[in-house]
Amino acid sequence: MHPATSPTAGAPAGREHRTPLTRRRFVRGLAAVALAAPLALGAAACGDDSGGGDGGPVKLSVFWWGGEARAKLTEDALALYTKKHPDVTFEKTWQANQGYFDKLATLTAGGNPPDLFQIDDNYLAEYAGRSTTLDLGSYRDSGKLDVSKFPKSLLEYGVVDGKLAGVAAGENTQGLVYNKTLLTKNGLPEPRTGMSWEEHIAWAEQVAKKTKVPGTQDPSADYKALWVWLRQQGKDLYKGKELGFTVEDVTKWFALWKGARDAGATPTADVIHQGNATDITKQLVVTGKAATSWVWANQMPDLKKNTKDELGVVAYPGDPSAQWARASMYWSVFKGSKHRDVAVDVINFLNNDPEAVALLGTDRGLPSNTDLRAKVSETATDPAMKQSIQVESELAQKFGPSPQVPIKGHSKVKAELTKAAENAQYGRATPAQAAEQFVTACKAAIA
Amino acid sequence: MALTTAPGPTPRTGPVGPRPTRRGAGRTRLGEGLAGYVFLSPWLIGLMGITAVPMLLSLWLSFTDYDILTPLSEVRWVGLANYERMFTADPSYWHAVRVTLTFALVAVPLKLAAALGVALLLNRTWRGVGLFRGLFYLPSLLGGSVALAIVWVNMFNRDGAFNSFLALFGIEGLPWVADPDWALETLMVLAIWQFGAPMVIFLAGLKQVPTELYEAAAVDGAGAWRRFRAVTLPMLSPVIFFNLVLETIHGFQGFTAAFVLSNGTGGPVDSTLMYTLKLYIAGFTDLEMGYASAMAWVFLLAIALITAVFFSTGRFWVHYSDGEDA
Repeated sequence: MHPATSPTAGAPAGREHRTPLTRRRFVRGLAAVALAAPLALGAAACGDDSGGGDGGPVKLSVFWWGGEARAKLTEDALALYTKKHPDVTFEKTWQANQGYFDKLATLTAGGNPPDLFQIDDNYLAEYAGRSTTLDLGSYRDSGKLDVSKFPKSLLEYGVVDGKLAGVAAGENTQGLVYNKTLLTKNGLPEPRTGMSWEEHIAWAEQVAKKTKVPGTQDPSADYKALWVWLRQQGKDLYKGKELGFTVEDVTKWFALWKGARDAGATPTADVIHQGNATDITKQLVVTGKAATSWVWANQMPDLKKNTKDELGVVAYPGDPSAQWARASMYWSVFKGSKHRDVAVDVINFLNNDPEAVALLGTDRGLPSNTDLRAKVSETATDPAMKQSIQVESELAQKFGPSPQVPIKGHSKVKAELTKAAENAQYGRATPAQAAEQFVTACKAAIA
Repeated sequence: MALTTAPGPTPRTGPVGPRPTRRGAGRTRLGEGLAGYVFLSPWLIGLMGITAVPMLLSLWLSFTDYDILTPLSEVRWVGLANYERMFTADPSYWHAVRVTLTFALVAVPLKLAAALGVALLLNRTWRGVGLFRGLFYLPSLLGGSVALAIVWVNMFNRDGAFNSFLALFGIEGLPWVADPDWALETLMVLAIWQFGAPMVIFLAGLKQVPTELYEAAAVDGAGAWRRFRAVTLPMLSPVIFFNLVLETIHGFQGFTAAFVLSNGTGGPVDSTLMYTLKLYIAGFTDLEMGYASAMAWVFLLAIALITAVFFSTGRFWVHYSDGEDA
């Protein structure tokens, strides 16, 4: 398929049967192809670095993760852009979340990354730190990228090492989703924002006793729950290039949940393990194995699709000001893209064009542009979506400042937390041992 | 693919006898050589592009801090740092080695035993034997497929079919795949269950054993066990050897089922962290492709070493009869 490979197959050999050179020439040709193929790939990777290169038809490659619903909405919004800018068309690729970042990394390594791609805070620093993402700061300053209507903390949550690496495609925050049907049927109170962690666990214990369904998933393996809890203790997940917590902090965290497990407020370790998968369909609140799950608030509508029961959502326990306006995901531009200006313009369009924002709705979280967010909230019809918008908007008034974006090595920290927490859950380690193991592993991971 | 390889002694290939070097035929030979290369070219290009070049590249990368995202031109040479880290500073590496060895040491012998046992049963002529051969071979056709792994995980979770079956006898099952003490064992059972491929090869081997040997042994008063020990096993030893080497390599490379069972994490609590999975996580999740390359090369050398050990011990127990007879 590469033009470089085509002139191989015995090109000069044809007529001249007798020339003694053919074989040598052929072998040489072969060697040339072997060398040229990767070179050609490499050359494609470098592209011509002419920067803008606008004018004339442009085909922009766009890559995101999500389900079919998101694909439909995104395709519609991009089609709208093409309608307004007929010379810009899109090469759209999307897939499920699992495996998305493997694919993105492979595309980047292969010298064929998309011009415009979706990314989240788990990987933003990894990509920005390696200069894979374009610094959008100059576009922001020149006004080509309008972020004037963005909440300040949401915009700042896209900054890595002083560079604007990603623009929030939507806003969300941590949400505790509970099974409303189960609670009302049994005459149990619903959880409230602002309950303390101890109150939450006591409540979950009460639910378990009455309904035989454990009241809460044990979130000790969940970095976003640990993160909120740490912030409430005046700590953080990261501080600069260091960890923002100590062994003692994590010991307390693991011990808190050991208490909950011992009291029967949570499911058994193997069920907790299943709920630790990030897959929406495996969350215990929809599989019926627990009354609450620890998710992101904008996942409510998707969760609802997987259960017949009514769901409710509140903030994680403790002081809700520990939560922040998190970019549910960002749009980033590949630094080597030939069509940077167009790509940035598309981001601008997806965030600020009233029609596009109306089309996209809250699929990627609350719209980042707060004026348009208000409009979308008014017109939302899906009850689950309405509810998540309402809760998020309420919480938004209590949000504290954003933490820094997770640093390089975050994927390992997340995996180590799961391992350590599960060690404690299966009773193979005490909270103190698990905490020690976790912090040691983290230090190695981010070193 | 293993099936196409005929079992038994490999015919001696290589430089056979003096080549007909006709004077003046040089040009024709060149022409023939060229034609040969042209016919070989799909394979040659594949070998170069898909195997040789990336392999050598990965050898180089194993001495660098390559992280996938950084262009190759900017990677830093780090010497033996990746290898040093693997052996001295990464406890989960040794854990993965342990998991993989446990898996291979248990699953491979049991799989071969199952394959040989069933092959012996099916090596008779009774009605419907062909159907049974087909049925036993079927699981192997599914190979290391993702679909099969998904079915397996669902069969062996707490509410799975296996526990429902146990419940018939009043036994309360475990959450097998979600239990760190049993997840790896579940994978072993899956591997053993797919004994069809070595079984077919054993069957082919059994067909090669001359019936006169059995008759002679029977005349000499050897019972069934004695005939198996003294005739079947030695005659079958080249096939056993072949299957052992192949299945060991295969066992070490187990990946798909572990990946599916653990959502790519090696969990619960690293109990299914097979070597290849650890390598995959290092390369694609943690973006440490240089480190992953180093792991891959150590893996390659380890497998080569184990295979070499097999070959060097083989002459003590592998019995090739054809040499003398034929």
